[in-house]
Amino acid sequence: MASIARKNLFEDIPRFLVAQAGIMFAVSLVTIQVGILDGFGRSTTRLIEQSDADLWVGAQEMLHLEVTLPIPLDRLLQARKVKGVQRAEALMNRTVVWLDSSDRIVPARVWGFNPEGQLFGQFKFVSGAIADVKQPYTFITDRSNLASLNLNQVNDVGRIVPFKAKLVGLTEYTQSMSSSASLFTSLENANAFGGGNSNSLNCVIQADQVQCLNPNGLAATALDQPQTPPRRLNPADPITYVLVKAEPGTDLQALKRDLEAALPGTRAHTKAEMTEITRTYWRERTGIGFILGLGATVGVVVGMVVVSQILYSSVSDHIKEFGTLKAMGASDWVIYRVITEQALWMAILGYIPSMALCLGLGVWTVAAKGIVILITPVTAIAILGVTVVMCVGSALFAIQKVTHVDPAIVFKA
Amino acid sequence: MTASQINIADFVSPSTCATPSTEDLARWQRGVLERTARQAVVAQGVEMTFGSGAVSSTVLQGVNLEIPYGEIQLLMGPSGSGKTTLLSILAGILTPTAGQVHLLGQEITGMSKEALANFRLNNIGFIFQGFNLFPALTAAENVEVALRMKGIRGKVAKQEAQDLLRQVGLGDRLTFLPRDLSGGQKQRVAIARALAGNPRLIMADEPTASLDSHSGHTVIELLRDLAKESNRTVLMVTHDPRLVDVADRVTHLEDGILVS
Ligand SMILES: Nc1ncnc2c1ncn2[C@@H]1O[C@H](COP(=O)(O)OP(=O)(O)OP(=O)(O)O)[C@@H](O)[C@H]1O
Ligand SMILES: [Mg+2]
Repeated sequence: MASIARKNLFEDIPRFLVAQAGIMFAVSLVTIQVGILDGFGRSTTRLIEQSDADLWVGAQEMLHLEVTLPIPLDRLLQARKVKGVQRAEALMNRTVVWLDSSDRIVPARVWGFNPEGQLFGQFKFVSGAIADVKQPYTFITDRSNLASLNLNQVNDVGRIVPFKAKLVGLTEYTQSMSSSASLFTSLENANAFGGGNSNSLNCVIQADQVQCLNPNGLAATALDQPQTPPRRLNPADPITYVLVKAEPGTDLQALKRDLEAALPGTRAHTKAEMTEITRTYWRERTGIGFILGLGATVGVVVGMVVVSQILYSSVSDHIKEFGTLKAMGASDWVIYRVITEQALWMAILGYIPSMALCLGLGVWTVAAKGIVILITPVTAIAILGVTVVMCVGSALFAIQKVTHVDPAIVFKA
Repeated sequence: MTASQINIADFVSPSTCATPSTEDLARWQRGVLERTARQAVVAQGVEMTFGSGAVSSTVLQGVNLEIPYGEIQLLMGPSGSGKTTLLSILAGILTPTAGQVHLLGQEITGMSKEALANFRLNNIGFIFQGFNLFPALTAAENVEVALRMKGIRGKVAKQEAQDLLRQVGLGDRLTFLPRDLSGGQKQRVAIARALAGNPRLIMADEPTASLDSHSGHTVIELLRDLAKESNRTVLMVTHDPRLVDVADRVTHLEDGILVS
């Protein structure tokens, strides 16, 4: 059966294309803003989500994943004795300075974990493997960091000041967008890397003059010279978190309380709480939610203006035909249906290419920039809803124009 | 005859009369039934005033008109005399300032907007000077839209649209868009559309005014044949003297008053 709505829409192809361009602009803008917001939020908590730990135990002063105070490794040993704990592993986080082969420095963040453990490091590898970081002074990192670290491939060497450090693996989806480059390695390596940049000037006072052995804090070791392997950790060494896997069926809230009681100065968070704390921190701290929300709103407003304008002019062009339908005895609803159907067609035909465009753009930004535009099925459906509401809402203008049309106009030649 | 001379009792519901006798009631019913049974269209004391106060203009002044079933009634008159206004009122598109209109035995003045729209949908086919076809729809689709509004859908509607277009001689133009049809052909599509759902009344405003004499002639003959074939009542406003030949009755409107 002939659809007046569809035929009216395609009657004037240039106008239709302008309308669709406007809708695509609006939908893409909204999708990208929401996608970046989601991608950003997700990226800040990736390490938490990829971990198999049920509970994260850290210093009670913890602000979010990356800002907290150290706790002694001894807490790990204490945690293993708490009833209900199936498995506990240490996680260490240190800020370091990366010095690339052309002597440029970049802030970086070292994460030390147990490469033989099960609670951290289930990364998606592009090359290399987790066991590779058992070698001294090695690390793996997200492949999106290669450019900022000025590295090309696995086995390239640079410095985590003052040590030389070798890249042994590349991962995907492990870098937080809010954070400096994350370098993953064993606990022992991380402890060495992280302790290294203190007091590394190695200066002394000789005859009232300060003499430094390495004036810019760099170890004298040449890149091809062997380094003394990192030492084993002892219970007094600082770590950042104790990751806990609970025995099946354990009440996590009760286990949290037991752990906090047994481990002085700590607080335990479930995985969900840890995610929420961190994501909320970044959203609020950066105002990114507000900025991207503003962008998305602009998109919707632009979309509504374009769609209203197009529908209104389409209806104005056909006002006589709509009047004719009314004169012939069509109820207002028949006419609303035509206009609403036209709006729905515009919504669907604007939505599909926009989504395709955004998905394509997302693939490109991940590959090229490490920026994730995350479009989950929920987001996609929600944006379809926004698009439909936007288009149908815009139809209201046109609808009220038709409602007020006097069927007597049909006799005006 | 003016509005004050009408036998009001014929048109006032018995319940508003003071204690009518059964005889009164029977007479009243007979009166209404007889009049409206013979007449497809009855207009009584129709007045129309546009605007109000100083800027008001009275276009129709107490128009009375009766059109029997199956007849073709022509309404002629100079430009601005109120022909279109009267047609709109008789078709239930405009509400008169005063007076009553009965169509097919039902009083339409006083019907709700929805009831009126429904009445038009089921009983009246319209033909306009400007054709008023949907430019984006083919000839067949334009007819189908009218059928769909009347509850005829799908294959049945498709077949019926084709039949109607064949009746008006456009069986070979089903998939043509209005822009690819001549004026006369467009008007024939409009006639097919007006016939959709087989309404008993056809209301046409200057159906041949936009047509050259040849296609005007085709349209005139078509209208006559279609009206006579199925005993439809046709009210046609026109300037076209050629239409007088096909009409059963001709009425002239001058300055809002019928003179015939
Ligand atoms: N909606 C309106 N508001 C005010 N005046 C109106 C309106 N519609 C019609 N009129 C006036 O009523 C008068 C009669 O108009 P109408 O269109 O009925 O004339 P007509 O006989 O059909 O003329 P024509 O032959 O030119 O079509 C005109 O003076 C017109 O200006
Ligand atoms: Mg007129």
